Amino acid sequence: MLVIAIILAAVAAVQGARYVRRGHKSQWTVLWMLFCFVAQLTILSIRGEMRASCPLGDTGEVLIFSAWSLTMFYMAVGSVYRLSLLGVFTAPLVCFLLSLALMPGMLDASPERKTVVDGWRESHAAFSVLAYGALGLAAVAGVMFIVLNRQLKDAHMSTGLFANLPPARDLSKVVGRLLLLGFALLTLGLICGLVMEKTGAANKHLYVALGQWAAYAVLLILKWWRGMPPGKLAMAAVLLFVLSLMIFPLIN
Amino acid sequence: MGLNHETAPVEVREHFAVSEEQLGLQASRLTELTTIAEGVVISTCNRMEVYVAAEDRQMGLDVLRQHLSVDHDDEDMSHLYQKCGDDAKQHLFALVCGLDSMVLGETEIFGQVKHAYKQAFEAGATKGMLNRLFQKSFAVGKRIRTHTRIQMGATSVGNVAVDLAEKIFGKLNGSHVMIIGAGETSRLVAKSMISRGASQLTVTNRSIERARSLAEELSGEVVPFDSWEEALVKADVIVSSTGASEPVLKASQIEAVRKKRKFRPLFLIDIAVPRDIEAQAGDIEEVYLYDIDKLQQLASLAKESRAKQVKLCEQMIAEEISQTS
Repeated sequence: MLVIAIILAAVAAVQGARYVRRGHKSQWTVLWMLFCFVAQLTILSIRGEMRASCPLGDTGEVLIFSAWSLTMFYMAVGSVYRLSLLGVFTAPLVCFLLSLALMPGMLDASPERKTVVDGWRESHAAFSVLAYGALGLAAVAGVMFIVLNRQLKDAHMSTGLFANLPPARDLSKVVGRLLLLGFALLTLGLICGLVMEKTGAANKHLYVALGQWAAYAVLLILKWWRGMPPGKLAMAAVLLFVLSLMIFPLIN
Repeated sequence: MGLNHETAPVEVREHFAVSEEQLGLQASRLTELTTIAEGVVISTCNRMEVYVAAEDRQMGLDVLRQHLSVDHDDEDMSHLYQKCGDDAKQHLFALVCGLDSMVLGETEIFGQVKHAYKQAFEAGATKGMLNRLFQKSFAVGKRIRTHTRIQMGATSVGNVAVDLAEKIFGKLNGSHVMIIGAGETSRLVAKSMISRGASQLTVTNRSIERARSLAEELSGEVVPFDSWEEALVKADVIVSSTGASEPVLKASQIEAVRKKRKFRPLFLIDIAVPRDIEAQAGDIEEVYLYDIDKLQQLASLAKESRAKQVKLCEQMIAEEISQTS
């Protein structure tokens, strides 16, 4: 099922990119991504059944959950803001995350079935990974903004990509709103994390999570309080997400 | 049978022009002529064309020519072209796709042909043959627009500027446009912006009378030329075309209001020669600066790109004709 999900994301990415090069919008990207979403949901359901808890017990599951979350936010945002091209940018990232999950050692073949479930721990993990989905999509929209901004600055209007990219102001708004949504989810995850029962490795994890939360908080406060050039906001969204991805190895 | 901007000057075209309301009536009059069973009359500022289905081709042409010559002299009639059978089909398909237009690939003609056909249909001037032909032409037009780039890119400076504004701001509803220097090109660009939704307009000019006149025409407000900098905070788009020999808008002036503007995007259109806006303004992150050369270059690129698509469009039209023959 994981391989199917990877293939679907890859098809969405490749076909979408080919359409964009020809200057057309791909009507199929949303459909491939929808199938990919269903495939990811199926994997997570199976893993959830095996664990008898939220499927976030190993790095592979975290990667699949993140890809699922990213796809879910794309489905929501892409249709609301008519950002169909967002799928062409999101699909490669989803494909990358799922491919990482497929690597040996990432997914536990026979996950331990939990007898006691800590609700706070489960909520912490779920909110945090959902936050990664929203923040990841903010980064994807940020990359789209950076590409469009460069093309507008250099007056490169003749490419198929330029024709299909949504307006710069809309992209910037999407980046801001997704950052806000991601931050809210991150805050909920952090609150659950502070309440949950601590293990030995939790301190390091907590400091990094607090640092990450503070970085996003500063970014959003700066944007709200004094404003920020859209290019800087987009760049910050991308950089902070890349840095956030580095927290993964510290989770387990 | 008809004439267009390539075969006839405007003074001849205006003799043949048919008003929008008369298209149906004129089409139904054609069907009263001997051997002519169906008719459609198309009339735009660049062309007047008559499409008929006749029982006898040669007789149909003669009757039609005679009908048109009633109100026109020999000089006017010498500008007419005539096409029959597949040539006429090919012409109509190319026309609907904008291949025969003054601005290659323009889309307005599609609507104009559709309107002319609708008028003729409602007047009872079309039956099986022309109904099929025109329906087919609309399908071909849609197919060509979807599968080629014949309509991609703006081909005039004004349209390039408006397209760019929409690429930066999305819908221009609520956008604030500021005009520095009340020249003709500024007026045209401002009008285009307003037609696409820009709702607030500020005009400033050395001659306050000219500024007032333009502001009145476009329902905007006037700002005195020595205090327009305050309006910079509100503006989303600035169109500048003064005759000044030194830059009117400097990068430092924009830098000074960036915080007040909360770093909102600012689109600067400089259509003056010598340039009105300091080139360094374009280095400011949220500022997009386009001078007349850049705009003209983009318009030329779009024209070239459209011209390259003509061959592909003609091939597609030929395929469609071979399928219908």
